[in-house]
Amino acid sequence: MARKMIFADTSKCTGCKACTVACKEWNDLPAEKTHLIESYQTMKDFTPKTWTYVTFIELYRNKTMDFFMRKAQCFHCGDPACLKACTSKAISKSADGLVVIDQDKCIGCGYCAENCPFGVPKVDAVRKKAYKCTGCVDRVENGLTPACVQTCQPGALQYGEREALLAKAKERLNEVRRRYPRARLYGEQEMGGTTYVYLLLDAPEVYHLPQHPAVPVSLTLWQDVIRPVGTVAVGGAAAAVVVGVLGNLLRGGYRREGGPPDGGERRSAKGGKK
Amino acid sequence: MAAEDRQGKGSKSSAAAEQDRVLRFTRGERFSHWVHAISFFLLLITGLGILSLWFRPVLSLFGGVQAARVIHRVVAVIFVVVVAAMFFIGDPRYHWEWLKSAFSFSKADRRHIGAFPKEFFGGHGEYPPQGKFNGGEKINSLLTIFGSVFITLSGIVMWFRGSFPPGLVRWAYPIHDLSMFVMTAAVIGHMYLGLLHPDSRASIFGMLNGYVPVKFAQSHHAAWYNEVKSTGNRFHL
Repeated sequence: MARKMIFADTSKCTGCKACTVACKEWNDLPAEKTHLIESYQTMKDFTPKTWTYVTFIELYRNKTMDFFMRKAQCFHCGDPACLKACTSKAISKSADGLVVIDQDKCIGCGYCAENCPFGVPKVDAVRKKAYKCTGCVDRVENGLTPACVQTCQPGALQYGEREALLAKAKERLNEVRRRYPRARLYGEQEMGGTTYVYLLLDAPEVYHLPQHPAVPVSLTLWQDVIRPVGTVAVGGAAAAVVVGVLGNLLRGGYRREGGPPDGGERRSAKGGKK
Repeated sequence: MAAEDRQGKGSKSSAAAEQDRVLRFTRGERFSHWVHAISFFLLLITGLGILSLWFRPVLSLFGGVQAARVIHRVVAVIFVVVVAAMFFIGDPRYHWEWLKSAFSFSKADRRHIGAFPKEFFGGHGEYPPQGKFNGGEKINSLLTIFGSVFITLSGIVMWFRGSFPPGLVRWAYPIHDLSMFVMTAAVIGHMYLGLLHPDSRASIFGMLNGYVPVKFAQSHHAAWYNEVKSTGNRFHL
């Protein structure tokens, strides 16, 4: 299956939050008490009951106010740091690009949460499992679009083949740039190309997104260098011990010693000098 | 912790036996060694079960993954606090002198390290008389000291990760694992020399009842043994 993509055109987002509601409905996530964070934003971060929410940023420039709204959820990276960090093989990537946490395999260690450059996965302290947006993998694999895409009224979310949708996104970018010269696509190249690709109206920093998200160097060092080299080193130490025992046997070390040691509690009649 | 520690098999410590063996490790030293050793292995097993799916089934011995995570933390506190406390209570002098000796390498120590590979594999290397800890043991001590410090610091960051910046928490994982690999490789060699190597395995008694055979002391720690015999000072760097 060719890689799919969700095009999140923030220029069309009206901040209605229907995506949050649709997500909750499909995934059986109950409503929870919300608080006003800033502007019209009512969620500060993901919770076990809320896997997607809309961030609102108000920017005042040249006596005009701009709303920068963005639906936040897992980006579903092409090169996911969470998958690399997981020591339980609980995170997998589907052929069409969705990154999913297997709840049965997850032990809630939180390595994924610490290594995601976007801070998406969280550990549910009660269930001791990591959670995040599944990309509605159970819908997508049955020929449906993700619930958020399905419900989006202004058409800010579109689902389709990556190649075709990227071309469409670039066309749209050209239009939007007339009004927002700093607009850009975010996720085309980042993290190996993310499944959710955004058309942002301004620089990523304005949206509190990392400018250059990357798999942490510490994670690559850990999984690709320290773990394999360390395993070989420990195996090498064990092999050296085997060689040492054989060497001592061959050189007669055990015979020279005159039997097992006795801690000097008994006087041994015979025994090597060394 | 009496410096002149005579516990052990009381009935056997007759005058004749005393001539054959010499006290190397006091009760306090042995206590710290075994607290460190036992907690290290418990931490290793519970940690490997989290780190690797290959070891994961072992965690069922501890009551499952979540129980193992709690045990790992409880044992970690013992690993750090008990051994650290031994540097201040009881008779801590020998702990500090061990620490000092690990950081002071003499020419004799360096020569011993040069001869170490040959000795390790059953050959006979030439080296000058060694102190209470020979060059190889000092290397093992250093690996243990630095391994313990780094695994403790990174472990604190991992345990209380909400209180540290993500950039620091991310580095704690590779540091924790690197320390583990270094100490595991070291302990494999350490156990071989203490339990299996014909020339050095008599040293295990120093960690069991405190005494090592005089013959062993003379051939492996001659400088220390002569000091003990002539001055009664059982510590010699």
